[in-house]
Amino acid sequence: MTALDAAPAPVAPSTAGAPGRAVTRLTVRQVRRGALAVGVLAAGMSALVAATHAEVVASPEQAASLASLATNPAIRTLFGEPGDLGDPGGFTVWRTGIFLSVLLGAWCLLAATRITRGEEESGRTELLLAGLVTPRHLLARQLTILSLAAAATGAAVSVALSAAGTDRPGALVHGAGLGLTGVFFAATGLLAAQIFPARSAATGSATAVLAAGLMVRMIGDGVAALGWLRWLTPFGLTGLTRPYDTNRWLPLMVLAAMTAAVLAAAVAANRRDVRGGWLAPRAGRAPRTTLLGSAPAFALRRMLRPLSGWAAGIAAYYLLIGLIAASMISFLADNPELADLAGQAGFGSLGAVEGYAATLFALLAMPASGFATTRLTAFFADENSGRLTLLCAAPRTRQKLAGIEVATAAAGTLVLALVAALATWAGTTISGAPLSLTAAVAGALNVLPIAALGLGASALALGVAPRAIGWFGALPVVGGFLLLVIADSVRAPVWVTGLSPYAHIALVPLESPDWVAAAVMTSIAACAGAAGLAAYARRDLRL
Amino acid sequence: MSMPAIRTDHLTKRYGRLYALDSLDLSVEPAEVFGFLGPNGAGKSTTIRLLLGLAQATSGSAHIFGVPATDVRSAHRRLAYVPADVALWPHLTGAEILELLARTGPGTDRGYQDELVARFDLDLRKPAGTYSTGNRQKVALVAAFATRAPLLILDEPTSGLDPLMERVFRTAVLEARERGQTVFLSSHQLAEVEAVCDRVAILRAGRLAEIAAVADLRRLHRTEIEVGFTGPAPELHAVGGVEDIESTGPGRLRLSLTGPPAPVLRALAAAEVTTLAVREPSLEEIFLAYYGQASR
Repeated sequence: MTALDAAPAPVAPSTAGAPGRAVTRLTVRQVRRGALAVGVLAAGMSALVAATHAEVVASPEQAASLASLATNPAIRTLFGEPGDLGDPGGFTVWRTGIFLSVLLGAWCLLAATRITRGEEESGRTELLLAGLVTPRHLLARQLTILSLAAAATGAAVSVALSAAGTDRPGALVHGAGLGLTGVFFAATGLLAAQIFPARSAATGSATAVLAAGLMVRMIGDGVAALGWLRWLTPFGLTGLTRPYDTNRWLPLMVLAAMTAAVLAAAVAANRRDVRGGWLAPRAGRAPRTTLLGSAPAFALRRMLRPLSGWAAGIAAYYLLIGLIAASMISFLADNPELADLAGQAGFGSLGAVEGYAATLFALLAMPASGFATTRLTAFFADENSGRLTLLCAAPRTRQKLAGIEVATAAAGTLVLALVAALATWAGTTISGAPLSLTAAVAGALNVLPIAALGLGASALALGVAPRAIGWFGALPVVGGFLLLVIADSVRAPVWVTGLSPYAHIALVPLESPDWVAAAVMTSIAACAGAAGLAAYARRDLRL
Repeated sequence: MSMPAIRTDHLTKRYGRLYALDSLDLSVEPAEVFGFLGPNGAGKSTTIRLLLGLAQATSGSAHIFGVPATDVRSAHRRLAYVPADVALWPHLTGAEILELLARTGPGTDRGYQDELVARFDLDLRKPAGTYSTGNRQKVALVAAFATRAPLLILDEPTSGLDPLMERVFRTAVLEARERGQTVFLSSHQLAEVEAVCDRVAILRAGRLAEIAAVADLRRLHRTEIEVGFTGPAPELHAVGGVEDIESTGPGRLRLSLTGPPAPVLRALAAAEVTTLAVREPSLEEIFLAYYGQASR
């Protein structure tokens, strides 16, 4: 009986396995696709603009005119302080720098909150932390991989610019600034994810930091007396490095220090309960039963909070656009020879307030459609997480439920356009280059067919490829914009340009609207949307 | 003959080459409590998703009170549903979710809803994000039981409830039956199914393995009989349905029996039986027998 009497040997914990490596692999899988897309886009765009510089700026006179255009406070507000525009590198930084740093920063913060708070909210993080991985360890790996992704984008841009024949030190400073901006916003996203217990709140507040950083940079660049403000924001600091010009490293050091501070704060804030945060929701409250009475009301209720965030951002941007309108227009009036050049550099018809507004309203299609796309992405997230199931068990077809969501998103898009119109009107009126309210509304509504294409494509994706809603929605709107910019840069044949919806909208309020094009685009959007809803009704709910 | 609450005809769902559900024929009568059993992955949730029109059948059909399950606008007026994994909007409080479901659902008895909230001891002031699994389930259960829908489809509704709340749940099921509501209960809690269900179906690997009243199911299965006797040892090997005869001591036998006990009793008559214990199998044992067959 000795075998029975002997106590079983205690189970020794296995020391094999490599939790760190497993977490690294997981994190890489979570971010690799987006990181690759952002990196390729950033490097490709930089190389393309640098390579086509000689065509855009053919003579020293043109370079000089462009430089004087770029030093106008209004243009400075939008594109930052120009470097040496005669240099292909300096020109590329001026044309693409802000756009790429916003793109990379936004991706970094979205990815950061997704893989941290998003995973935690869904309960998957607990599964990981029940193993050998500690929260601190997990955060360190996530932070490292996001930082490497941002740095890789910066490096890819440096390499692309060097390969395109620009000066190496400039390419290095620009790439470093871009990469650090990415790391800064990844850290911001990680910090927000520690503070807020809900992913939406974390993403929202980190996005607000990005928007505020951009605004501060615009004020610092636009108002000479407030130039010091640029030392406070990553977008300002990257401008202050003046790539291909003086190549200053001090602003980069400041940016690196700021980034390190945010990273340290994120690591310090990581001392908390899993699923908890530093701003916990209240334990209980009285019910607020408005907008719960029907499916459309509930769709509206879910939309109101994100809509007000997007509206605030769009209002601030278009108010600024309005405020700088007078300065822009009087500058161009004093320098008529610049009007032609401005057209070649991609800013046509900026001579009158109507043309100026029309040109800048075209950009509105992107946030307006982006908002609609996020609504359908959120709708699919509700479906995928099972929240929609209870509503689907009610006596209502799924096609109707999705249709209500699409219609609500369309209404939200309309509201955003009206907000942009009002803000532009207010700004131009204050600045003394009055644009009538009807003209502003007409200009803003004029781009809605493009936003409708984005919404239609998103609705189609909801039916046929719901995990790709973001890509479908971006294809006509962001893809179309990039296509136009690139096609203009490389002087592509007309039919290539014609693929972009932006090529078909009239410059309202400078011109009268192109009703045929608007009707065609809206019809295509409606067909795509109807096909998507029909497919949605037929497919299985994805849980 | 009244219209069945649920009827499926050759209901089949295929995912690629895998048959999640293979030609299911089922009929659930009005006002019965119907248990739906099966190991994980047997196709229970798939069946429920097809009944609700949340997924499309590959072939075959399902009807809710004669209405095709695919006509959700009509079919869903007649049913309420509690999913296996209840997900709620984290920012809405329990009260707000009940309000939403009541006003978008097939009609709710508010008085009974308040009573259920009290019975299930649910704190409605909290945002759903702070609810535990059991509390989320309670919200969905209260919403479903408070409807006057003639059919309640409950997918593992008590997996997160404590024993006290499970009793509240059983009471609510029985009250629903008294009101004439049909309850379709998919569950792993076999004691619960045994306590509340009139009939059960056992699903195995996408196919219907058994469908019967709980009492009949027992009869179909092996009964364990222990006999003590003083007379000559009975000759039982030739008796039909008898298996596993085992001597557990002098004058003691244990055997298992499938089918009616009359032949065994006749064979035992000469043995001067002193004690006789008949133990019917629990639903759990019946169920485990199916599990066993599935895994072997």
